[in-house]
Amino acid sequence: MPERLLNKLKDRRTELGLTQAELAEKVGVTRKTVNTVENGVFTPSATLAIKLARALELSVEQLFWIER
Amino acid sequence: MNSYLAGVLVGIGAVLLAAAIAKLRSRRLPGSVAEKAEVLSKRRARMLPPLAAIFLAQQASYFSTPATTAPRTVDTVKISAWLLLSIVLLAALATKGFWFHSKEVRDLIDDENTRANRNHAMRSGFLFAMGAGVCVYVLTMFEPVTAREAVHIMMSAGIATALIQWGFLERRAYQDA
Repeated sequence: MPERLLNKLKDRRTELGLTQAELAEKVGVTRKTVNTVENGVFTPSATLAIKLARALELSVEQLFWIER
Repeated sequence: MNSYLAGVLVGIGAVLLAAAIAKLRSRRLPGSVAEKAEVLSKRRARMLPPLAAIFLAQQASYFSTPATTAPRTVDTVKISAWLLLSIVLLAALATKGFWFHSKEVRDLIDDENTRANRNHAMRSGFLFAMGAGVCVYVLTMFEPVTAREAVHIMMSAGIATALIQWGFLERRAYQDA
């Protein structure tokens, strides 16, 4: 069975009252990239995953997990 | 004047005109780097499929002239313009594009997801170019194909596929936004 990378980016972002554009600006990417990561369309690099986790005040493991 | 040179000049003129229009339109862009990148990135997603269509439509002018007859002046002009457009599109595919904007905007537009989409599109373009090469190879067993025709087919297949694929991926990236 294929593995899927899931995340709670959207939940955490809305919890902190951030828009996609604001989060994108914080981590230095376009809103499109945040959108694709949120929707699970794009698997981010380790660098981007760490930046996103830092911006959302979580650890990478809390933000992303693998579903088998 | 040599008609091929005239075609190249027409192509250069078209590129300069497009650059001037892009520069004028960029004056109306919003202030911050992030906002500019957002607008330009969306514009690119919209423009890629029509660009591929224009590029493919140009093939008609090439293949409407039989290889056995000498091309008319108008055809050589179109072929040269096609070559220049191919070079510009290849450069846009291989680099960050948006050459007339600031480095900050260009760096942001070419972020991780864009690079991944671009690499995916380039891979598809390469595979289609090779596939076209195989088809041309088989075709030569039945029909004579000139070297220029073969190169033309392979370049067109590769570039058009990469443009369409990139456009599709960029549009998909904006869905559910």
